[in-house]
Amino acid sequence: MSHAKFKRRHVSGRGGVWGGVAYFFRRTLLNIRQNLVINLLAVVTITLSFLIVSLFLLVFVNLEGAGELWSEKIQVTVYFDRELNEKEFIALRNLIMTLEGTDTINYVSKGDALKRFRTRLKGQESLLDGVPPEVLPASMEIRLKQAFRTSGAVEAYVTRLKKIPTIVEVQYGEEWVRRFNTFMNFMRFAGLLLGGFIALAVLFIISNTIKITIYSRREEVELLELVGATRLFIRIPFLLEGMLQGVCGAILAILILAAVSWAFLNHAGNFLIFNPQEAGLVFIPVTFCVALVVTGILVGFIGSLTSLHRFADQS
Amino acid sequence: MIQLHNVSVTYQQDVCALSGVSLMIPRGDFVFLTGASGAGKSTLLKLLYAEIAPSHGQIIIDNQNVSRLTRSELPYLRRTIGIVFQDFRLLPNRTVMENVAITLEVLGIGRKEIGERVSRILKQVGLEQRMQATPCRLSGGEQQRVALARALVNEPKILLADEPTGNLDDENKALILSILAEANCRGTTIIVASHDLRLVAASNKRAVTLERGEIREVHDEPR
Ligand SMILES: Nc1ncnc2c1ncn2[C@@H]1O[C@H](COP(=O)(O)OP(=O)(O)O)[C@@H](O)[C@H]1O
Ligand SMILES: [Mg+2]
Repeated sequence: MSHAKFKRRHVSGRGGVWGGVAYFFRRTLLNIRQNLVINLLAVVTITLSFLIVSLFLLVFVNLEGAGELWSEKIQVTVYFDRELNEKEFIALRNLIMTLEGTDTINYVSKGDALKRFRTRLKGQESLLDGVPPEVLPASMEIRLKQAFRTSGAVEAYVTRLKKIPTIVEVQYGEEWVRRFNTFMNFMRFAGLLLGGFIALAVLFIISNTIKITIYSRREEVELLELVGATRLFIRIPFLLEGMLQGVCGAILAILILAAVSWAFLNHAGNFLIFNPQEAGLVFIPVTFCVALVVTGILVGFIGSLTSLHRFADQS
Repeated sequence: MIQLHNVSVTYQQDVCALSGVSLMIPRGDFVFLTGASGAGKSTLLKLLYAEIAPSHGQIIIDNQNVSRLTRSELPYLRRTIGIVFQDFRLLPNRTVMENVAITLEVLGIGRKEIGERVSRILKQVGLEQRMQATPCRLSGGEQQRVALARALVNEPKILLADEPTGNLDDENKALILSILAEANCRGTTIIVASHDLRLVAASNKRAVTLERGEIREVHDEPR
């Protein structure tokens, strides 16, 4: 008579909520143990996939780092026709420091300039004998902040600089800046494209791997449905399993990459012409590692969920 | 109480597995479904636990129209029905004990109580020695008893058994029938599909005979 006879009815589980949580974790671990081979295969596949991603990230991060290093060569040199006195120098320096984008200023007096020139002519210093120090102009070398090292920003900066009356001439290696920027932009674009393809391929591989682990157990899912398991009850262990596979894969990949790159950094000197430590090679930043692990969890979760969805639609 | 009103099932277009079946099975009944293979016995059982839906007609279990249950209500119907599948459907990766425990785990029952109840039912079906074995290590008769234990462990209101004595020796047949009879004594409604006419005759229970998807005769238990 009551139409609600088979409706949701709270089952008096002796374990309560925590009993339920404990049950699902135990079930997940048992499932992994009882389907060990396919789980190991899944973790290996996911590890390899994440290894590709993290290797790509490592290369990308280091190329960016190298680019940043090179971009420090972008500097604006301001020339004066005469030596500045103390007061003029301080006034000008303060003025330039207020310009947005200025990082550091280095004053090169006429004497300094000649000294530099002399060291460049190493071995042939005699050429400069008798040359008066006034020949070379005094200058200020301005290093720009990271964000201002693009063609457009440098140009805008120089325009503002030229409005200062004491400044006679400004040089900044236009051509080099342009080429450098083109190169960096190309690298970022190619990196993004490649990274995008890799990410897609990896997501595809991982979700298919998880799908296989779930499909191999369709009779389990069907049976659970027939003995009255709710959808959530059936899904939770599979979702936990998928997330665990994702986490293990991501962490393993990072560990393997760390070990390999550590070995590389410590032994590369033997077979490379440059010393990678001096070249400033770095590992993937911690935030990226965390992002990889989180991605692992998410991909595991979503991969399991979509497989279960498709699976349920068929039965 | 289980009622079927003018139920028909048509698998792909032309295969008519059941046509115009009306049947009433009171609570606590023990009834056999007989008929040649292909007569529609399994189909009728599948309707009761809603693995398939009828093409026509109504199925009512304890005043609930089975085909009107939503996806989230269906599990709660199935928890009241124990099923012994013709092909057992035991999970090969799990032990006998875990296989039987599934029915209780689904209910959210605590671990300790599950252990006790599973041990009790396995003792009843004579498998207490094989609790840690996996199904592939068991004989057909033992697997059949595991399937029966799994169906009975939560003391369901209704038990559906599809050919539970198929391919078994007489000793095992008798054992299974006695377990079913015991469950029936405790109030479970029992429906057994079997083409084994000798077994049906020997059991002295009500029998419904199907023939090509229609009810040919209803044979009440002789007093
Ligand atoms: N899944 C299915 N798809 C198509 N036809 C089926 C399916 N299941 C059963 N049938 C057909 O329905 C009829 C009844 O089958 P079934 O209920 O299994 O009979 P029984 O259990 O009495 O042997 C048979 O002709 C069978 O071929
Ligand atoms: Mg059959």
